[in-house]
Amino acid sequence: MNLKELTIKKAHELLKKREASSVELVEAHFDEIKKRDGDICAFLSLAEKEATEAAKKVDGRIAKGEPIELLAGIPAAIKDNILIRGAKATAASKILENYIAPYDATVIKKLKEEEAVFLGKTNMDEFAMGSSTENSAFGPTKNPIDLERVPGGSSGGSAAAVKAGFCVYALGSDTGGSIRQPAGFCGVVGFKPTYGAVSRHGLMAMASSLDQIGPIAKNVDDAAAVFEAIRGADALDSTSVDMEWQDYWNEPVDIEEIKIGVPREYFIHGLNPEIEKNIKFAIRALEKEGAKIVEISLPYSEWALATYYIIMPAEVSANLARFDGIKYGHSAIDKEEKLQNLLKVYNKSRGESFGAEARRRIMLGTYILSAGYYDAYYSRAQKVRRLIKQDFDRAFKEVDAIITPTSPTTAFKFGEKMQDPLSMYLADIYTVSINLAGIPAISIPVKEVNNLPVGLQLIGNNFDDIKLLKIAKVVEILNKQNL
Amino acid sequence: MLTKKEVEKIAGLARLELAEKEKEKFAEDLSSVIGYVQKLSEVNVEKVEPMAGGTNLKSVVRKDDETKCISDPEMRKQILSAAPDREGDYFKVPSILE
Repeated sequence: MNLKELTIKKAHELLKKREASSVELVEAHFDEIKKRDGDICAFLSLAEKEATEAAKKVDGRIAKGEPIELLAGIPAAIKDNILIRGAKATAASKILENYIAPYDATVIKKLKEEEAVFLGKTNMDEFAMGSSTENSAFGPTKNPIDLERVPGGSSGGSAAAVKAGFCVYALGSDTGGSIRQPAGFCGVVGFKPTYGAVSRHGLMAMASSLDQIGPIAKNVDDAAAVFEAIRGADALDSTSVDMEWQDYWNEPVDIEEIKIGVPREYFIHGLNPEIEKNIKFAIRALEKEGAKIVEISLPYSEWALATYYIIMPAEVSANLARFDGIKYGHSAIDKEEKLQNLLKVYNKSRGESFGAEARRRIMLGTYILSAGYYDAYYSRAQKVRRLIKQDFDRAFKEVDAIITPTSPTTAFKFGEKMQDPLSMYLADIYTVSINLAGIPAISIPVKEVNNLPVGLQLIGNNFDDIKLLKIAKVVEILNKQNL
Repeated sequence: MLTKKEVEKIAGLARLELAEKEKEKFAEDLSSVIGYVQKLSEVNVEKVEPMAGGTNLKSVVRKDDETKCISDPEMRKQILSAAPDREGDYFKVPSILE
């Protein structure tokens, strides 16, 4: 069995035809993990016993001839900021090193209803803050394509696990590109749904107006299958939206009816010219198939990254205030000392267990929101956010989807950007505006540059997720034909 | 450029104890990001409404009913046992007054 090529559809067929059992699938993946994850470090914790038990249940149902769901019995990996009841959930932070999740995230509950099997929790940048997994308190994940390079971040463990064949698919979270950028760097598909399409209950909040959960998978069909399983309104996430979704599986999109915008602001200096060439090649392939391609302008793109680096840290500083050393997580409380001071417990618990990037962003947010600076920074950023959203609203009156590169470079080497945080932030330049606008976007692998994967980012309008996935499927097919 | 003193003040507000030798690096890092985000002063935002959330946000309310309390005894136990210090079903907090 070639695990690297094993998709949800193929695995489901194997199970249905009884050519493999779910227990066998689980064992094969754990064998691979044990053989190679010592080098890659995609996982922070494994759940072999629980996974085998879940797999046995599915095998029992198959043996009885009962129908099974598409995701039933299929091994998945989950980013470590998403809660699975009874399993460790560290978000790659020292402050949660020994934290056990007391409940299931809604996405986990939904996947359990489909009888999905969870192999373990994947590595990430601490609290999803970073673009390389180098901010993990437990050491970085390596890119399976080239162990000297980063897998991207923050969902780097999930993307690496999918690429390496350690799981069939994975869940990630995306606040400014954290699903799409690592998917691009590792050569897999990463999909960030519309804000509100998927419940975040049980996802550790980073920046609540931007966070979204989504799949990382081996192809577009698999990403769609996982999306269909996890989406939907949830009373436990007041931003989740109740709506009727189109059916992804009914009929493919007629590409001759599709108009695609190419924003000139995304093809500027700083973009690796080889990546530009390959993205333009994919655009030409779509045009040859009959898609209409138009140049568009998103004039406020230039200010998206600055807007993001105000709004995101402001929300981070508020969300991470809950880690206080009192209710759970690492604590400096000394039970013996009667006269310990509360403020000192806060300062020490937080100071000694948040990593450098988490502290940087908490302080940045605290500064931005502090008296005297609020209007100049936060309030102004919220207004520019509106202008960025209006750019997209205008564009989607004319086009069905927008194509850009996912990242300006291919996967970089370890240490290259760690000394200068701003240089790391620039890795997200093409992805952050999508979160600011709340719209969906997907990264699809296209032609490589120097044997390193390149991601093409396809952006859709709010709640046009299914149409976006259908167009992504065309991009995927054309790319395979042109290899 | 932020001074060391300003960094100390921000860290205090954020309830973060910093090691002495980290303060200068943080001053440098924070200054470089703050310098970058000042780019937004180039944008004319007159008459623009601030955008607070993701998409189509509307206020959602629910009844304040006690079934929304943690009714699962196992979960309740796990949540309480995660606390570093407690007395019965209460989280124990160090003294606030000196």
